[in-house]
Amino acid sequence: MSKISIVSIISVLMIPLILIFSLYVQFHGEFSAGGGFQAGVIFASAFILYSLVFGIEKSQSVISLETSQRLMALGLSIYLLVGLIGIMSGANFLDYNVLSANPTSGQMLGIFLVEIGVGLTVANVMIVVFYSFANMKVTKK
Amino acid sequence: MMTRNLLWAVLASSIFSLLTATIFFILDAVDVSLTEAAVGAGIATILFVFTLKHLEINLKKSKSNNTILGLSLIVIVLLVFNLMDDFPRFGESKITQNSNVTEYYLENSNSEMGIPNVVTSILAGYRAFDTLGEVIVIFIAGVSVIGILREEKENE
Repeated sequence: MSKISIVSIISVLMIPLILIFSLYVQFHGEFSAGGGFQAGVIFASAFILYSLVFGIEKSQSVISLETSQRLMALGLSIYLLVGLIGIMSGANFLDYNVLSANPTSGQMLGIFLVEIGVGLTVANVMIVVFYSFANMKVTKK
Repeated sequence: MMTRNLLWAVLASSIFSLLTATIFFILDAVDVSLTEAAVGAGIATILFVFTLKHLEINLKKSKSNNTILGLSLIVIVLLVFNLMDDFPRFGESKITQNSNVTEYYLENSNSEMGIPNVVTSILAGYRAFDTLGEVIVIFIAGVSVIGILREEKENE
């Protein structure tokens, strides 16, 4: 859509705010409402709004389907790695106490890393699902 | 609300999700409210519309047996109304059987985890294994969507 419309101007104004809000929900989730899941969904909705207004090709030049697939696996891997570090250090799976010298700061670090993993996976699954639906070409019978 | 237009039905469900998100917000469940507003009202609606674009369904032609459906709905509603007295009262503190766990979380979350948001500390801390399962489920859902829709592309 090359025409400048009300929708495109409003979304240009809104999308940075949505992205910043999603990062706020991600990194401030321990102190206020929110967490990885909410942040991921909000982040993905900003991308979906962008591709609805400016076209799916422009959006895919920012994050392609392949990148999104890799990031979605990366998020799950971060989560699993944090769990495995616990086993490596001689504690239980997903035991955050061993991540740092002080158990409380270890817990904070563990929750922070795990939330990043959740956020990455959720955001990229939503983007991948949206891309798949948008690229869907069904042969009409 | 009854409609035979699928687009209207999708929009109605989107508005319903938004209202539900408002109710969650009023009940102080801000995390759930954020999720409901973004997923239920936003992303799900867009995916429904994308799917509708590819469907050619004429509901006026399809003849479903509405009397059986209506009767069974009435029976279900009556059953639920009958059971409503057994539900916990609104705002009751001891709504779960294991309320000891709830009190433990509320008292020790800040000293053990060092973060004030109890929801986050339960989800990512005490119940981290459950959340891992949730993330895996979401991941599998994404992988399945890729698999199903990509196969359709190659069949062309």
